[in-house]
Amino acid sequence: MCGIIGYNGYRNAQPVILDGLKRLEYRGYDSAGIGIINKKLQVHKQVGDISRLIDSIPSFTGTIGIGHTRWATHGKVTETNAHPQLNTSKTIAIVHNGIIDNFLELKNHLQQKGYVFQSQTDSEIIAHLIDEHYHKDFQDAILKTIRQLRGSYAIVAISQKDPDTIIAARNESPLVIGIGDNENLVASDIPALLKYTNRVIYLDDGEICILKKKSVTILDSAGTQKQKETHLVTWDVRDAEKAGYPHFMLKEIHEQPHALTQGLVGRISEINRTVSFHEKIERLLRKPIQKIHLIACGTSFYACYIGKYLFEQLTNIPVQIDLASEYRYFSPKQPDAFVIAVTQSGETLDTLGALRTAKKTGCQTLVITNVIGSTATRIANAYLLTQSGPEIGVAATKTFTSQILMLYLLALKIASNQQTISSDDLYHTLIELRELPREVRQILHQTEEIKTLAHNISNSTSLFYIGRGINYPLALEGALKIKEISYIHAEGFAAGELKHGPFALLSPETPVIAIATHDKIFDKMLANIGEIKAR
Amino acid sequence: MKAIILAAGEGKRLRPFTETMPKVMLPVGNKPILEYVLDSVTTNGIDDIIIIVGYQKEVIMDYFSTYEKGNITYITQDKQLGTGHALLQAENHIETPFIVIPGDNIIDHKSIAHLRETSSEYAMLIKQHPHPSKYGVVTIENNHLTSFVEKPKDGEGSFISTGIYKLPPSIFSDLATLTSQGLHTLSSAIENLLIQHIDIDTIIADTWMDIVYPWNLIGVNEAVMHQTAGSTAGTIEKNVTIKGPVTIKENTHIYAGTYIVGPVIIGSGCEIGPNVCIFPSTAIGNNTVIHPFTELHNSVIMQNTHIGSHSHISHSIIGQGTVIHPHFTNIPGPATIEIENEFLKLENIGVMIGEDTTIGCNTISEPGIIIGRSCTISPLTKITRAIPSGQNVM
Amino acid sequence: MKCVVLAAGEGKRMHPLTYTRPKVMLPVCNKPLLEWNLENTKKAGINEFVFIIAYKSEMVRNYFTDGSPWNVSIEYVNQGKALGTAHAIGTVEKFVDDFLVISGDTIFGSNDIKKMIKTPQSMGLVEVNNASAYGIVECKDNQVKKIYEKMTDPFTNIINAGIYHFSPSIFTYIKKTPKSARGEYEITDSINMHAQSETIKAVDLQEWRDVVYPWHLLDITEDIMKHYHFENKGTLHNGSTISNNIAIGKGTQILPGSCIEGPVIIGENCKIGPNCYIRPYTCIGDNCHIGNACEVKNTIIFNNSNVPHQNYVGDSIIGEGCNLGAGTKVANLRLDKEPIHFISNDMRISSERRKLGAIIGDNVQTGINSSINIGSNIGNHVIIGPGRVINGEIKPNTYLI
Repeated sequence: MCGIIGYNGYRNAQPVILDGLKRLEYRGYDSAGIGIINKKLQVHKQVGDISRLIDSIPSFTGTIGIGHTRWATHGKVTETNAHPQLNTSKTIAIVHNGIIDNFLELKNHLQQKGYVFQSQTDSEIIAHLIDEHYHKDFQDAILKTIRQLRGSYAIVAISQKDPDTIIAARNESPLVIGIGDNENLVASDIPALLKYTNRVIYLDDGEICILKKKSVTILDSAGTQKQKETHLVTWDVRDAEKAGYPHFMLKEIHEQPHALTQGLVGRISEINRTVSFHEKIERLLRKPIQKIHLIACGTSFYACYIGKYLFEQLTNIPVQIDLASEYRYFSPKQPDAFVIAVTQSGETLDTLGALRTAKKTGCQTLVITNVIGSTATRIANAYLLTQSGPEIGVAATKTFTSQILMLYLLALKIASNQQTISSDDLYHTLIELRELPREVRQILHQTEEIKTLAHNISNSTSLFYIGRGINYPLALEGALKIKEISYIHAEGFAAGELKHGPFALLSPETPVIAIATHDKIFDKMLANIGEIKAR
Repeated sequence: MKAIILAAGEGKRLRPFTETMPKVMLPVGNKPILEYVLDSVTTNGIDDIIIIVGYQKEVIMDYFSTYEKGNITYITQDKQLGTGHALLQAENHIETPFIVIPGDNIIDHKSIAHLRETSSEYAMLIKQHPHPSKYGVVTIENNHLTSFVEKPKDGEGSFISTGIYKLPPSIFSDLATLTSQGLHTLSSAIENLLIQHIDIDTIIADTWMDIVYPWNLIGVNEAVMHQTAGSTAGTIEKNVTIKGPVTIKENTHIYAGTYIVGPVIIGSGCEIGPNVCIFPSTAIGNNTVIHPFTELHNSVIMQNTHIGSHSHISHSIIGQGTVIHPHFTNIPGPATIEIENEFLKLENIGVMIGEDTTIGCNTISEPGIIIGRSCTISPLTKITRAIPSGQNVM
Repeated sequence: MKCVVLAAGEGKRMHPLTYTRPKVMLPVCNKPLLEWNLENTKKAGINEFVFIIAYKSEMVRNYFTDGSPWNVSIEYVNQGKALGTAHAIGTVEKFVDDFLVISGDTIFGSNDIKKMIKTPQSMGLVEVNNASAYGIVECKDNQVKKIYEKMTDPFTNIINAGIYHFSPSIFTYIKKTPKSARGEYEITDSINMHAQSETIKAVDLQEWRDVVYPWHLLDITEDIMKHYHFENKGTLHNGSTISNNIAIGKGTQILPGSCIEGPVIIGENCKIGPNCYIRPYTCIGDNCHIGNACEVKNTIIFNNSNVPHQNYVGDSIIGEGCNLGAGTKVANLRLDKEPIHFISNDMRISSERRKLGAIIGDNVQTGINSSINIGSNIGNHVIIGPGRVINGEIKPNTYLI
């Protein structure tokens, strides 16, 4: 992962870019570089983190430029391999985040044409390709270049021959455009822009963006102009600090107690023995509910899976869970279903599609999301905010626990509306919910023990999570997290299912993580663990 | 001008409250002590602040990540050797005279202004103290420092150093020499300045309070709360009586018949009542539940606690996440408390309970008892001695 | 010549009114503060504006667009983090030559602005009764010598009015300006440096009103109403008694039995009466309702709010979308006739007014027969139950039931 930023406006570009890079440092910090045009292209690169770049950089003037902070994938950590990457005549500079799959093929092609490569990066080919296609028109050169690229990329390019233009292109790597006044920015992530503007456009795959000082034009890969919606960012630069943690994900894991507390505030009352939401949700829940459909993608889907157990235990309503990408196209046309969609950002395309389908079918819809004002909150009949604070880390952490909490609260509310839970049981559950943040906090106090365990399994090539009942979806989510973060192959299984096949995959080196809590199937779980140990 | 705040220490004498957070994060008036220090500094327009962190630094950095009034730079002191060594960590960030303040005391902003405005290169804030034997005792002549003695046996009622100084950057080379000789405290650097006959201005601080032992939180809490004007938020039911400056934060629900006499601060997301009485100088942290007929006096109740009905708590500290079942009573009164092999006599003190402890119903505690973190006390217990963290009392 | 307007501030001291709008968008006689400045500056002959915005910038942008409704051109610059006036002005270097700077939250007269335009390298000065809360200006032979920040015992009552005529040379000094004791880059420090090497002329202003605390809106409204051009576009029903200095907007109905003593401004589509009594210096927004047996005096009511049945409201400000229950009354005079205190952001401030009712935010609802005490500060979305007595600062979203 790398962080990129581009600035085109009236301010001196250097401090803007350096500040932006600092805010993107969490995306990588083994080397960094900056390129600024003031009639001529000036470039400075440095191995090490951003502070080393800041210490060594000469003062460039110019109001247009790009910057990059790198986490090496192709090629060693050297100054040459750092970005920006240039063409041979040093007139074009590009920064790139992603991996070009057909890089060897393109490199051969360019070398045959006489291009000499300086670095070991896959990114350098982009600078040379632009050079190859650049006859008169910068935009045309970029369009032709990206048509040749296979793989993932977010690219920001500048050229000395067209010193008033930045061009950005994206495919499967994040890129956000910041719309300012007489200035425009582009970056991998919002925190890098927030100091200058809170109006952003999210680029989609295959789109390119021409940033001038006073205008922003979005084109599709065919070069046709597109209209895109400008979003208003409501959170603040200050929310996006790492606060002493080495990365955002760890910070967000430690924020769980706080996020859960925020989710409970004003929603449960121990003394009144009630769960309450704002009036729109209350009204929705007062209507008779025949069946519930929970829809989501990725981690949120596993939260829904847990939600299914909760709803079915507490209420007598049948619950169906669906992946949003499936539901969109293969939805059961059941207008009497109450549809609850779960999406952290409120912008997940498949989930938005599913929500629209559900509404069209005539369902009542509720969305659980973390972002107020997101598209999902505008589509659904009502929305429930997880209140977990911005999640910047790529993997969902605190929002997962908050989502489960929201589903639990909804289940309790419906159960108490339908009187399928006694006032006494509700009371005890509410007291336990109030203590939930503290329980989570105590688990987080065991950081050192967890670290040791993680270290023990870090060299495994494969690992399994097992669980029963409500812990089964948790096993699935655990496996997803391992895959996402450590690139270790991981699977989650229902513990009872092991003997129906997966046993064959087990070897003495394979770590199996069993989720065994003191519930009514604890003994069964112990038996399953015994079976595994025996192998 | 920059300010350096020393916040790396653990505060062993403040256990169990400092087992999971650094001393400077202990709350008084529902805000960490360190926030009062920062506010005093930034009120003076000093907004470049360096905080030296160490023990449990994430707790500090997390909390102040939303601090608006100044730009904070954090520097980590890996080993907490002493205040001089801590200060030395900031050497590369300082080029001009600066102010150094320990993060574990309360200082008013006017005193900081006086220190900032003095023309002298070296200056310090001092304060008269009834029991100076724990501090650096100073003698002065025409507002200049003439002697400095660390922890003398006697000297009742004399002036002490508050540990707040204005110093030039040249102090760093002195500190470097001293630490290489194994002298890690800032006081040894000050003694050294005196030997070199350097003039040090002394300025008497207006309000200065420090927190050394757990019960200091009760007194400091009372003092800071007297400065609030009060405001109302949340849901207030009928027949709730509010007198004097009472601050109630958002999403808190006060049920009917509750009687509150300020100064009182109640955090957000609390449920209080019906028919609870809260008397002056009580601070109640966020997300706390106080059940009916409970009475609270002059106490620090930290966040996420749960206090059962018919309880009586006074002159006490309740750590975060603690659950107290119904009919708990603490008896306030005189007590002698042992902390780090020292015996300290107090005139009126209640109970001090660490975080995440559970207290069974109908429990009584004698004056001056310290109960650790994550303890479980069975119902109908009479607590007569200190209970270390993690113990279960049957 | 371009006019740069400082419009970035949130105005925390104007809470609760600025929770939902920037300070410059607060309505005075049914027009945002900033629009008065725009119109007065235009009247003085300037057609090109640069607005420096930050807090809730989209509201300013949406209201003023590119300036075409006023036949002027407006460019926007986002200040980002508020680092002081010098920093704000420094951001427009690329957009201006010789230029005028005005504080968007202070109202200046068009004659004064004209004088400023005619005097290159100058700043506006004004005399006030108590100068201690302002920047004090030392002058000699109509030249500015030095500006001093707030003094407890000022040597003169001449203060910095917040309007400047700069040449591009100011940017050299802005770049050299150090952070002030308040931790901000202040334009007054840049001017002090400028005044040492070049002449900065002093221009005395005749009209000047600044807005710091909410009740200053009452003062400024009173001022403007004294020279207001009153027009009646509404419908007067028989049996209503109105004086001639009353402005009534389109679609507004004045029902029988209403007695209105001017100066009073009433917006569009309001329903006034029957049988109500509206007293001088009251300004009512659009879509409001003042109902039977209500008395309103020296009060600003924002759009979409109702004072519908048996109410008394005096010396108060009521935000948007509020509804007072039948019989809700606002007190505006202490029984001991002492100046009234106001609590804002947990701090106690003296309003120095003998009469002050309540400052009420947006979407507040009160129950029947509730009583609101003098100097109450009621946040947005507060709900007050029947018969409650309200005092002090009530934060947003509070339920008093």
